[in-house]
Amino acid sequence: MVPPKPVPKTKPRRGIFHAFKGNLEALMIGVKYFIDPKRFTLIYPKEYNKLREGYRGFIVLIKQKCINCASCARICPAAAMKMIRIPEVDEKTGKQKVKNWPVIDYRRCIFCGYCVDVCPTEALYHVPYHDVVYQNMAEMYLDLESFQKPPEYKAAEEGIPVRYIVDEERGLVKVPYKEGEK
Amino acid sequence: MDVIDVIVKIITWPPLWQLVVLGLVAPLGVVVGILWFERKTAARVQRRFGPLHVSPRIGGAIQLIADLMRYAFQEIIIPKTVDKGVFLIAPLTALVLSIVPVVAVPFTSVSHYWPIPMEYSVLISLALSTISAIFIVLAGWASNNKFSIIGGMREAYMITAYELMIILAILSVSAMTTSYNFVDVVLAQTGGKWFIILNPLAFLAAFISVLMATSGFPFEIPESENEVVAGPFTEYSGLLYGVNMGAAYIKRFVYSIFITLAFLGGWLPYGPGDGFISGYLIPSLVIIVKATILMAVFSFLRAVYGRYRLDQALDFAWKLLFPLALMGFGLGLLEAYIGLIG
Ligand code: SF4
Ligand code: SF4
Repeated sequence: MVPPKPVPKTKPRRGIFHAFKGNLEALMIGVKYFIDPKRFTLIYPKEYNKLREGYRGFIVLIKQKCINCASCARICPAAAMKMIRIPEVDEKTGKQKVKNWPVIDYRRCIFCGYCVDVCPTEALYHVPYHDVVYQNMAEMYLDLESFQKPPEYKAAEEGIPVRYIVDEERGLVKVPYKEGEK
Repeated sequence: MDVIDVIVKIITWPPLWQLVVLGLVAPLGVVVGILWFERKTAARVQRRFGPLHVSPRIGGAIQLIADLMRYAFQEIIIPKTVDKGVFLIAPLTALVLSIVPVVAVPFTSVSHYWPIPMEYSVLISLALSTISAIFIVLAGWASNNKFSIIGGMREAYMITAYELMIILAILSVSAMTTSYNFVDVVLAQTGGKWFIILNPLAFLAAFISVLMATSGFPFEIPESENEVVAGPFTEYSGLLYGVNMGAAYIKRFVYSIFITLAFLGGWLPYGPGDGFISGYLIPSLVIIVKATILMAVFSFLRAVYGRYRLDQALDFAWKLLFPLALMGFGLGLLEAYIGLIG
């Protein structure tokens, strides 16, 4: 097989008028945006981005569904999901025993969602937000209690929800979120 | 009453009025506004908001006051390794020298209100305006820091690029009016014959070379932040840094005044009358307003352009700007020859 011949890239000849035109065009675009700015800055604490369903945000455990299989801990690529041993009393026999429960360490989690996908009983789910504040690093290692509650979403309490859509004409556009939208 | 009379007399004494009020107070006011405008415009064009959270109602205008206060109250650190005397003197001298050209230009046609005789004002003011750049190089040299020295050397290179073009471009109005007197130049533009219309080439050359002289945006080479920190001003802090920046903006303002007088009709369409208010205050205000609009155009470019490399800028200056300035000069001569200028 004959290898393809390298074709030298030829620059189109550009004269002074081309440069002048280019400058003028750039200036015109500047003026256009100056007159009609198409801003999409999120004014954060006053507005927040209402993310769509299926967003891989923070993870919550439904303890009733969990069968202690440890699949989530095994698949976790960042070793963020860990199984901890908690002693408890068996309801039927009344004997002492130890069970393994998953807990998450958000200092390590990369929000890949493997744990949610792998769980055989759908005991884990994502909440569609990620802007959660912890006061220190130790707090980010959740215990079994706090792993069952969705984390507090401060921005939603104070701000108004907005959504970003991609518009053919204007590019990225910020629109107010309508109730009930997916 | 007497005291007030004396004070008014002192303030309105032409050299003092032009040096302090028009050269220092007016630019500072203008600069605060222009800086805000510059940041807001760049943000608007680049689809951001710019300063906002300080005072959302008025578009964050107070942000600039906060910034100024920060510069004013910051500690001035003088590093051990700098050449102290030169380090301190250079920015202050640059500031003073960038104001000085203001006394050499007329702000009115009433000869009573000229600080100096105006026969050679075009030449004198241009000559005065070229001195201050050397002190920026000096500031970079005295700082004894590699970024400062590189910045200073870039400034020195840029001087070779813009100095001749500014002088050629502005002197082309002298060619048109056969006079070195700014008053004659302005008066020749009566009746809407502004030289920006008659000689757009020279205006364009003057505009671009002023942009180079004051490191305006496509040519913000000496102070380019992502290459040499703050160029010659890297080691400066607090008020001294503020003085440096102020000097740069005052220089741009003074050049804007030159361009206003040479191409934008100076105090026209207003005709100065008698007395201080009508003969001096209003014409100066007209000029300042025109210069401010010019400053705004300069800052608008920041939103659009990136930054040239040093060699590209020099290339541009000598291959394009120099012929442009010469063409402007030639056009001026031609128009004077065929009697287009009254
Ligand atoms: S999202 Fe990924 S990194 Fe985080 S706990 Fe689940 S598997 Fe581990
Ligand atoms: S994979 Fe699901 S069921 Fe298994 S331990 Fe993890 S959460 Fe529980």
